Amino acid sequence: MSFLVLDSLKKSFGQTQVVKDFHMAIEKGEFISFLGPSGCGKTTILRMIAGFETPSDGTITINGRNQSGLKTSQRNIGMVFQAYALFPNMNVFDNVAFGLKVAGMPKAQIEGRVKEMLKLIHLEHLADRYPYQMSGGQQQRVALARALAPKPQVLLLDEPLSALDAKIRVSLREEIRQIQRQLGITTVFVTHDQEEALSISDRIVVMNAGRADQIGTPSDIYNRPSTRFVASFVGTLNIIDALVADPAANTIRIGDNVIPLREPIGALKAGDKVSIALRPEAGSLSESAKGDTALTGKVVSSHFLGSVVRTKFEVGGNQISFDMFNAPDKVLPQPGETVTLRFAASDLLLIKD
Amino acid sequence: MKMTKFFAWLAIAIGLIYFFVPLLGTFEFSLRMRRGEYSFDAYDSVFSDVQFQQTFGFSILMALFTIAFGMLLVVPTAYWVRLRLPQMRPVVEFVTLMPLVIPAIVIVFGYLRLYNSSSYIPFTGSTFGTNVLLVMSYITLSLPYMYRSVDTAMRTIDVRTLTEAAEILGAKWPTILFKCIFPNVMSGVLSGAFITFAIVMGEFTMAALLNRPAFGPYLQLVGANKAYEPSALAVIAFAMTWLSMGLIQLVSRLSKMAPARSA
Repeated sequence: MSFLVLDSLKKSFGQTQVVKDFHMAIEKGEFISFLGPSGCGKTTILRMIAGFETPSDGTITINGRNQSGLKTSQRNIGMVFQAYALFPNMNVFDNVAFGLKVAGMPKAQIEGRVKEMLKLIHLEHLADRYPYQMSGGQQQRVALARALAPKPQVLLLDEPLSALDAKIRVSLREEIRQIQRQLGITTVFVTHDQEEALSISDRIVVMNAGRADQIGTPSDIYNRPSTRFVASFVGTLNIIDALVADPAANTIRIGDNVIPLREPIGALKAGDKVSIALRPEAGSLSESAKGDTALTGKVVSSHFLGSVVRTKFEVGGNQISFDMFNAPDKVLPQPGETVTLRFAASDLLLIKD
Repeated sequence: MKMTKFFAWLAIAIGLIYFFVPLLGTFEFSLRMRRGEYSFDAYDSVFSDVQFQQTFGFSILMALFTIAFGMLLVVPTAYWVRLRLPQMRPVVEFVTLMPLVIPAIVIVFGYLRLYNSSSYIPFTGSTFGTNVLLVMSYITLSLPYMYRSVDTAMRTIDVRTLTEAAEILGAKWPTILFKCIFPNVMSGVLSGAFITFAIVMGEFTMAALLNRPAFGPYLQLVGANKAYEPSALAVIAFAMTWLSMGLIQLVSRLSKMAPARSA
């Protein structure tokens, strides 16, 4: 049986249902990210696991034990908050020791455990500092040590990197992942930052309007988005309106281009509308239009973005972006110029609405 | 520009004269008890008066009880309103403002009607009961100041997240309130305490009508029967109020220093 099971979870605030029949099974030691826009229900699920919110329906089971009826303080869960939430009247040592003191651990053991935790986050030298004497990154590392000190069975991270600057965010997320691997603790991470989710998760749950649109590995989520929402939310993606050309041959038509699809079109008829996704980095410019996985159209604009050049061209009423790596002698495609983009058939994804 | 500055200084000068001349006059008068020379005889007379010592001591004791029980009422209330009942904030603010609107004499007559010796809760039937009633009435009078100072201090910390952080670490309500919240609103608690102290020390109506030997009625009694001592007492009362206000300033400055250093 899975370690953390969320079964038929529902949550309503008044008339508004923010979590709709959510199911998920998380294995021990897994790092799961809940990714989605504001108001999609990801934080509500986290708060239900923590016990801050009571589910309207459904159950949460941790290590085979139903958490219904258990207070937050009885769940043995660690949590790191977006706003650090260190106790301002306590120094680093006392903050990390708080959970251990509350649990009634002997003083000598508390000291040992706190030192161990401070060593883990490389802040042994700041044990006497107060929160206001530390940077945001340091405070969040202390918050992580405080959450881990009582050896929780699950670690919840509620957008812990959102309040930090970009450089600290990258280094801290790597540190969090490394500590999580080292301790093997089951972790649920909530974020609206796709790069964060893609870089540190074992699996990602993409949430949309209270439901999980897709649950999968970062590679699955990025390369094989199953819905239009996932495709548009994770990374930059071209969503192309196409028509079924020949269902028997599994081909579609985009403007004058007829292209085969790797995925089966299914029960659709010729002329039916379909949505196709194509990543901007998937293709490359080609001199000739030979081959069946190519799109030819007129350039609308070219933008220099530093390491890449993003060019938009129009095909059958769709504006399609593609990226090329920058090079000093690169000549940018000019508006009005006809270009051909070649790609692999597997790069085209059939999108469910 | 220069004219504006002149009028600003003129306004300040008028204000200072308005406030300080009567005070200086009172102080000067309090020093004239001995004929033909200045002395502190009036202060000697006040400090050596047994009744002064008794009433002053009684009022200090009442002030301490008022602060202790008032804070036990106000801190959890402000905390709970902030955490769980934010929709009740206007109601609580209205209730805490009532003592400013309803005159003390109306409140004390209400008390005497409700808690007299022949009522169901006969507080005034015994000295101890009347003292309890006096403390409760002082809490009522100081409620607007206590609640606001504590609520303002709570606004500077993220009460909800701190509570949740403590809760998930296994803490129960008393630990959360007294170890995680209370120490962080101490500046507000102390500000409220000093202002309460100043109010209680000078309060007349409640103590006089409940017939308790407090400092306020003593001030009135001395004022009606003696010449120089009332002026000395007025100066002492002002000094106490200013000391309390100075301590409020000190506490709020010290509490402001910590966040400033973190910026």
